[in-house]
Formats: sequence, C-alpha cells, structure tokens
Amino acid sequence: MPETTLEVTPALLIPPHLVGQIQSKLAYVDEAIAAARVAESGDRITLALRAAGREGEIEAKVQRVVQEMAQGGIAPRVEILEDHLDRPVSYAADPLAELLARREVYEESTGIFTFGPLMSRLIEYFESRFLELAAHFDAQPYRFPTLMSAEFLDRVDYFRAFPHSLTFATHLREDLDIINQFAEKAKYEGRGLNAPAEFFSQVQALLSPAVCYHLYFSLADHPLPDGQLIATSVGTCFRYESTNLTSLERLWNFTMREVIFVGSKDFVLEHRERSRQFMQAIFEELGLAYRVETANDPFFVGEFRKQAAFQTAFQLKYEIRARLPFKDSTLAIGSYNYHQDFFGRHLGITLPDGKPIHTGCTAFGLERVAYAFLAQHGFDPAAWPVAVREALV
Amino acid sequence: MDSIDTTLFAKVQPVLAAALKVNPADITPALQFGDLPQWDSMGHMEVMVGLEAALGVEITAETITALTSVEAICTHLAQNGHA
Repeated sequence: MPETTLEVTPALLIPPHLVGQIQSKLAYVDEAIAAARVAESGDRITLALRAAGREGEIEAKVQRVVQEMAQGGIAPRVEILEDHLDRPVSYAADPLAELLARREVYEESTGIFTFGPLMSRLIEYFESRFLELAAHFDAQPYRFPTLMSAEFLDRVDYFRAFPHSLTFATHLREDLDIINQFAEKAKYEGRGLNAPAEFFSQVQALLSPAVCYHLYFSLADHPLPDGQLIATSVGTCFRYESTNLTSLERLWNFTMREVIFVGSKDFVLEHRERSRQFMQAIFEELGLAYRVETANDPFFVGEFRKQAAFQTAFQLKYEIRARLPFKDSTLAIGSYNYHQDFFGRHLGITLPDGKPIHTGCTAFGLERVAYAFLAQHGFDPAAWPVAVREALV
Repeated sequence: MDSIDTTLFAKVQPVLAAALKVNPADITPALQFGDLPQWDSMGHMEVMVGLEAALGVEITAETITALTSVEAICTHLAQNGHA
C-alpha cells in the first residue's frame, strides 16, 4: 500500500500528445513508485510512493524523464484512416469485474491471467476471423518458439529501443553446489524468489516480445528466395509493463496472431493496405466500434522523442483502437506496421537485386480483442452481433 | 540532379558527418537516406537533430519526410534563407 504521495510540477509543460506516454514511463523511474498520474493539463504529476524518505531523488528522476521526452517535442502527424467509433454498442460497464466474478478470468500473478471457456471461445473465434486474412493472402504457416535469441535481438537494436519491457529467460548455472543450495533454500519471499542473482546464468534468451521477429531472424544473412514471402503465425508475447499492469488492457503475457509481409517496398505497403481494407469488412461483422490511426511504438525515454517522431512522420504504424465505452477511451487491439528496410539491413536479408528487403506485418492482440468486444457488447449473446452469436451460441 | 550550392553543401557536410559519425568525405552531394548503413531511421533523426542545432532547421513531420537527401537538405536551406 502506498505510504505517501508526491506531487511534482514538471519543469516543462507536458504537451497533450505526451501525457499518456510520459505517464506510462514513470512506472520505470523508481521501484518506490506504486502508481503515477499525469494531469491532462500537463502541469502536474502525482506519484503514490511505497515508502517516504527519497522524495527529492525521485522527483529529480521524474524531471529527467519529462526533460528527455518533452523538450523540443516534435508534434506527431496524426492521420485517421477509418473512424467507426460511433458504431452502436450495447454495454457500458467494465467487463473485468464480471469476468472475475464468473471465474472466467483469474489473475495468477501481476499481469498474468488465465482465461475460462467464454474468453477462450471468443479468442478462438476472433483468431479464426484473422486467419481469413491469412488465407486471403495464401500466407504460409509458421510456428515460432516462445524464447527468442538475445544475440538476434541485439542485432536489431531492440535493447536500445525497448529495454524497459524486456523479460529475460535464465536458468541456474551449471554448478552442483549452486543447484543444491537453490534446491534446499529457494523460497518465494515478499515480491520474488530469495535466490541470489549470482546463482543464475548469463542471459542467452528472452521471452519473445513480438512474433514476426522470429521470421526475420530465420531469414537472416541470406537472399530471400523468390524475393517475397507472406507468412502467418500465432505466438505468446511478453512485455513487462510494471505498475501499468492493472487490468486486461495490459498483460505481461499475451497472444498475437500476425500476418507478415517480406519483399520490396511496394509489395509490403500494398499488402499492408490490402490488409486494412480486408479487415474493415470483418470488423463491421463483429460490430466493433474502432478507429485506425497513426501511432508509435512505446520507445523508452532516451529514444522516444526521435524514434516516435520518425515513426509517425513516415506513417509506419497504424493502430486499430477499439472503443472502451465504460471509460470513454480506446484500446489498441491490433496494428498495421511497415518497418521499411530496417530488418533487411540489420539482418542481411536481400532481394534478388541485392538491396535489403522491406518488411511489414498486421498484428492482432487476441486477449485485447475479446476484452474490447465484451466491453462493447457485454455478456448476453442476444445482444451480440449476429456473426458472433451464430458462431458461439 | 540539379547542381547543389557549394556554400550550402559546405555547411551541411560537417553537420551530417557528425550526426552519422562518418568521415566528411563520405557525405557527397548525391548521398541519400539509406545509402550509408549509418543513415537509417535512427541515423536520420540524428541528422534532423544536427540540422536543428547547427542550422536552425525546424523538425516537423514534413521536414522529417522531405529532408532525406543532401540535395533536399540544401534545397530546403536555400528556400529558407540560408543561401
């Protein structure tokens, strides 16, 4: 429970487009921060602290974050490709309380949820609709591991861009004494295992933060046969979001279905746009109220200003943002992405003419889609759109 | 390609070399985004920040997408009173 509250007046007024971005980054400023809120006016930050006594140090770190992210802020280019937020919906409450009450959702640990039959059936149904997109493009199926190579993530500069959300995989060092000591003394105490850090091996692998990276890694250091490829895969992804892991909106462990495009610039951009057009009809059948708009990835503080500006300026990412009626807000349930030739360059994947390949993907967060659907249409199948009701009832 | 104003090129060359951490000789009048491994997405934003600091170029979505070659940078500077 928070012990004290710290009010901070930011040295720079936080512009509206950065309020949410900075608020989410404050979770990573100090382990003493239990919750953080940036006022919509951008002139006040309220922190709930787990312990009193280090307020000055924490405020200085908060000011650094504000300075690095907001100084010389580059206004994003916002483009809305579709706006169906006014599509009629029949539910207005947060479905989480009902899901918990029905034991349809169980929080095993912070940000780690298990799902019961209703959520599982909804997720399976929505995924089947996304597989229609894969079939439309005759996408080749792939299966990827949950673990991801640290060496490859380093090659694509992932550690520089998203260090805060990494989840590391490790194991006990190959040492008889360490393994025996661990077996005898390991206990869960307070907020984690009591085993000392030196018991664990150097990190060689991480839990995958994305699905499509596995495909690019498998193509590394070779020319791309035929010069183009469309693939599809589903995978569990892991992004640690600290104190932002407060509901089904943000999970540490979630599932993404992706359709992945590899080839020339024109090939990738054409298929990204065709994806969007194809999905427009499916989302209409699902009765989903949503908008498609330019977005940026959640780069960490030092990289944020430059990389977010680059991404939005070149319109590399469009998010599908579903309406959450209970909080008059939206939630990203998927995205249409173009990476230019970033992976081609970093991984040495080339077209027949020797130039680096371009890549893109269409990705859907399956748990979020199901959650947004319940937030808009509730638990009574009679109120569901016909397509969903006929498939599930 | 139109000829580039040599005075402007002389201003731009060291800025880009510093931003991309390459030898000034690598910055040629014909150089474009993507021609050097260093001039990728991250490098491009270093170029923009360098141009802002050294030559007062405003960083906007329009300049980020437009100033992707030495020629485009020099043309922008000429059109904005740097000649």
